[in-house]
Amino acid sequence: MTEAITLEDLTKRYGGATVVDAVNLSIPDGAFVSFLGASGSGKTTTLRLIAGLEQADGGRIRFRGQDITDVPPSHRDMRMMFQDYALLPNLSVAENIAFGLKLKRTRARFSGRVEALVDEYLRMVHLDGYHTRKPHELSGGQRQRVALARALITDPAIVLFDEPLGALDANLRHAMQYELKRLHGEFGKTFVYVTHDQEEAMAMSDLIAVMKDGRILQVSSPEDLYFRPNCRYVAEFVGAGNTLLDGRIQSLNGASVRMDMGDGIALISKSSTHGLARGQHVGIHVRSENLELVADPPSLSDTENTLPVRIDEQVFLGGRTEYHVSLTQSPGTQLTVSVQGGQSGRFADGDLAHVRVDPGDLRILTQ
Amino acid sequence: MRLVANAPGQRSPSARTLERQRLMFWLGPPLLWFFVFMIVPYGVLVYYALGSVDYLTFTPGVSGENFLKVATQDPYATVIMRSAKIGLLTALCSSVVAYPLAFYMAFHVSSARARATLYILVMLPWWASYLVKAYAWKTILGTKGILNETLLALGLIDVPMTFFLYNQFSMVLTLTYIFTPFAVLSIYAQLERVPQNVLEAARDMGASDGEIFRKIILPISVPGLLAGGVITFSLGFGDFIAAALVGGSDSVMIASIVINLMGVAYDWPLGSAIGLVIIGLAAALLSAANYLEHKTQVRL
Repeated sequence: MTEAITLEDLTKRYGGATVVDAVNLSIPDGAFVSFLGASGSGKTTTLRLIAGLEQADGGRIRFRGQDITDVPPSHRDMRMMFQDYALLPNLSVAENIAFGLKLKRTRARFSGRVEALVDEYLRMVHLDGYHTRKPHELSGGQRQRVALARALITDPAIVLFDEPLGALDANLRHAMQYELKRLHGEFGKTFVYVTHDQEEAMAMSDLIAVMKDGRILQVSSPEDLYFRPNCRYVAEFVGAGNTLLDGRIQSLNGASVRMDMGDGIALISKSSTHGLARGQHVGIHVRSENLELVADPPSLSDTENTLPVRIDEQVFLGGRTEYHVSLTQSPGTQLTVSVQGGQSGRFADGDLAHVRVDPGDLRILTQ
Repeated sequence: MRLVANAPGQRSPSARTLERQRLMFWLGPPLLWFFVFMIVPYGVLVYYALGSVDYLTFTPGVSGENFLKVATQDPYATVIMRSAKIGLLTALCSSVVAYPLAFYMAFHVSSARARATLYILVMLPWWASYLVKAYAWKTILGTKGILNETLLALGLIDVPMTFFLYNQFSMVLTLTYIFTPFAVLSIYAQLERVPQNVLEAARDMGASDGEIFRKIILPISVPGLLAGGVITFSLGFGDFIAAALVGGSDSVMIASIVINLMGVAYDWPLGSAIGLVIIGLAAALLSAANYLEHKTQVRL
């Protein structure tokens, strides 16, 4: 696959602060790539650098191999969909969508097709007959769809999205996520998306780049990001039910690592032993849905990764129930276990039980 | 509200009285103000305008004779039209001078502090006396003024030019200088509303600076231009000080004529009639401008 966008040591400073710090990333052509991070992580600035709305202080941006670092936004084959939609307030819906088709620079390319294109794209975003409405007469969701049509109509190679769904309510947001994903498949364009909402990034992206302090911490598929985070920050930032424990490596044995968790507890992880050493302090990460809550250990001999716990609290969440438990051997250590289905009531608060985890689901984090 | 204890539909008289008292309490002062400062003066004006004067003696009456005089007798209608022309030119020139400054303040000054400083600088001349500012132009434009002396010294002219001063040109120039701050502030207030991301979006879609100005910024700023235009027009239209200092025989203003009628000729009925005509014209203009401002206001 060719690369739509390549960032090489891309750097941006504001005053003394380095907002984007030597970022390197390849965005494959036709992919849906998200920048995910908390506010101030540099994700929006990175997007604006790609769009050309900010000037880089260092590094290069390439579009299909060609250096576009100093090319003005109007000459880049991309369109940005802005956070607050940025519809032109003095123009109607149709004029907004047609704006990019009637400029000196684009007029010739679209002449004679403007009306048909506007109709087509309005239909596509389900805004048939809204031609003459003004932006202020539209709801948030409708504005958003106008902005979407406006970004797609000039047929850019890349569409950039700056947290476009942030202002919508939850239901509308889910509908739009689905819609964006569908459009991405239909148009086959490269979508670059910025969001602080991990679920949104997960739901839509082929690739997610997690950013913090102007740097990319991890670039991977949503699944890898969720189950195989490469550092503590990503592990905690992504997903809600996380358990992150501290331990020390006791022994390395082929593909399995035995860790001493203190208080006489040991855990075994089946993961790459690359770069690990005996005695090293590491973080151990597991998703709450990979923890299993059982009344008794299956057999006395099968006690590997089985820890006795006390149920502190249970929270019924509809499709699943969350149990907050603490280790009986180390009451200060708390875990969250997520159990699927209506199994609420299997345990009562204060009950003693066991938590089991598959060695393959324990991930060792060195950073 | 003390309606709590009453059953529906059975409000006791005391509650109604209380409500009326509250209404009077809130509406009384503004109504009184309106009566004393609006109704009474206009009433007096109408009272005089409908009467007549004979050898300094005023006789009340109900005749439209004075209004007829305003419309038909020289020079009143001509002077009203001329004042309107001066006002219009003042409004046009002020807008042309003000727009670039307001534009610069709104889009090219990024620090709030610099913007506040500019804002104060724009208003600063307004703290100086109007008379002083009008007089200053006299010293610039006069035959022995700074402009003529400079041109003479540079050898560009041999004799002082007289067309700089005491005509409609010097009137409009002085009025423009004095009233431009109002135009700057109204245009700036409107330009300030243009959202930054809208301009970015337009740029992102490939619009040139000229296209961004023509298609977005200018349409959004129309109400500001109208508001500034109305203010500067009204101020120029009703001016008599600049007329007295830098105006000439071709730039007698309607306000000066009213002053003469009232203070020198003691023809209060005619003066009042002119006043009412001007007020009527101004009211018509203001409502037209108001309507247009609403029509052209871009909702964000």
